[in-house]
Amino acid sequence: MGLGSDFLNGIDKWLTGHWFRIFLGFVSVGSFVVVWWAVALYLHETGNVLWPYVPYPQDVLKAFFSSFVEPVPGPEVFMGQSIAASLGRVVLGFLLALAIALPLGILMGMFRILEFLGMPTMELFRPIPPIAWVPVFMFAFRTLWGPVAIVFVGAFFPILVSVMFGVKSVDPVLTDAARALGANKRDLFRKVVLPFVAPYLMTGMKVGLGVAWMCIVAAELIPVRGGGGLGYLIWVTSDLGEFSYTYAAMLMIGILSILTTGVAGLIEQKVYKWMGMK
Amino acid sequence: MEKKTIVLVAIVAAIIVIAGVAAAFLMGKGESRKVVYYVNVKPNLMESWLEANESDAYIAWEPFDSAAVVDGTGKILMWTNEIMPHHPCCVVVVAKGFLESDQGANLTLRLVAAHIKATEWILDALAHKSEANYTLLVNMAADFTKRSSAVVTEALDHVEYGYTMNASFRDSLEQFTQMYMDDALITNESLNSRGYDSVADFIDSYVNGTYIDDAGTVGLFATILNPTPIRLGYLVGDLHQMAQVVARNTSAFGGVSMFEDYGLDVTPALEGGYAAGGDEMTAFGLGEVDVGYLGAPPAIINHINKNVDTVIVAQANSEGSAIVVSASSDVQSLDDLVGRTVATPSVSSIQHLLLKVALERRGIELVKG
Repeated sequence: MGLGSDFLNGIDKWLTGHWFRIFLGFVSVGSFVVVWWAVALYLHETGNVLWPYVPYPQDVLKAFFSSFVEPVPGPEVFMGQSIAASLGRVVLGFLLALAIALPLGILMGMFRILEFLGMPTMELFRPIPPIAWVPVFMFAFRTLWGPVAIVFVGAFFPILVSVMFGVKSVDPVLTDAARALGANKRDLFRKVVLPFVAPYLMTGMKVGLGVAWMCIVAAELIPVRGGGGLGYLIWVTSDLGEFSYTYAAMLMIGILSILTTGVAGLIEQKVYKWMGMK
Repeated sequence: MEKKTIVLVAIVAAIIVIAGVAAAFLMGKGESRKVVYYVNVKPNLMESWLEANESDAYIAWEPFDSAAVVDGTGKILMWTNEIMPHHPCCVVVVAKGFLESDQGANLTLRLVAAHIKATEWILDALAHKSEANYTLLVNMAADFTKRSSAVVTEALDHVEYGYTMNASFRDSLEQFTQMYMDDALITNESLNSRGYDSVADFIDSYVNGTYIDDAGTVGLFATILNPTPIRLGYLVGDLHQMAQVVARNTSAFGGVSMFEDYGLDVTPALEGGYAAGGDEMTAFGLGEVDVGYLGAPPAIINHINKNVDTVIVAQANSEGSAIVVSASSDVQSLDDLVGRTVATPSVSSIQHLLLKVALERRGIELVKG
């Protein structure tokens, strides 16, 4: 009995433990790669007309690593350059969005007149996909700032909406209590509203960052200057039929998106700690 | 996320960012190299981008070169025949599926016959500029390109029309393919995977001259042979492809087009045309085009790298592209372009390829701006 329950406890611990989670992660990625490889094998072996479009996983991996040390044939750009160009656009567009959406969101959340004034226009523009702005921004902001502007639009609304919602949902009991304890307006904002909004802001930032990365492919569809970027790499290599590089660039966007969200998570923890929340 | 994981992620992120920036820095550091930057811009936007100083020069097909000259916004730095004399440009391409379909070979033969007739009509009109046919040609060209007759008059003089595929044509196509191989865009492996032993073997089977040879045996036909219209692909306002404009025109030739003369019902695959040769080849791959006019290099690279099963059956034109700089530019030669930006239609275009070749001869690299 004792042995049995120990055994079961062990299994239970294993199933909920850290290592099992890592194991499942490998299963998840591994099974995807196996299916991909099988599809590629099938298309290549049967001589299906689609085979150039589905390279083997190992070819994509090879293209991925070689592009760091050798330029991609055709556009003659390195992966490192493309990362730098895209990262610059994403970070710049995102920071601009944050700088404007954060104060605007707080103001719209605090003052109803601003909310009623701003909401109709915001609701009109919010559902428009950032890609729709490509033709307009190409002319309005040109080759250097056009892509940044598209990332900006993508990141702007998630941040704005989250912050505004956060400010609006501050528990009135908290503000009343703080007031009763003699807090002035400044204290109220710093000690009650801001800590309450922080998690909403962080969620908005994470979503905004994700959208920013999604926008980069559309953003770099327009004739960009200041380095090609990963989106450009995707377009140009698919035009030339170098699909191993296309998938390598897509993979890199995925990795960078995970990494930047990770960095945002790190900042989140720092902020919480600084605010004395954890 | 656990703190440890986050720190780890942050470190990896930092490494990648530093590597990226370092790579960019190292690339930038090679300033001892001579470099010209390129951006990819749609040809119809090139003139306005040049005017807005978004690029210092552009390379495009006619009439986008003569348009800038006539408008007074640009001047010609160099015609592409100065880079490669009599270089092939646009060709007539037929989908393998269409060719091998019922009546496909016969219809292709008739298409080529109509293409020859239209090309000869153009050549004749160009040779007799005082006659009515020249005016007709200019009007058709102006209508198709949506440009003034002043622009097309100028542009028509810079395009060499012709349909024959002689030895030098084949050599040039071999040369294009070899350039792609030098840049590792096409590899021996990819040639082999398509069933070709060598570049020469590839060109031998990709260029099929039998239709040109046999076109003389075809007579006119009073009734339409094909029950479903043949879908014709061409590029937006591309003056190189005037033969298909002439062959489709009904009003100028007594209500019957040259295609109809040969018993063919031909309709545009995409009204208004494709933006680039690469787009047209994609449409070929999707089975939306039966026969098309486009540049030889995009046809080659899409056939090899994307499995788009097609055959070249005739030439459409040679030469007829130019590098254009703004009218007030101080650029006098290719060397003066160093450190500046040139707009090209796409990396797979013949214009991009020729620019790259011209710059490389002067020891200049063409890199992404």
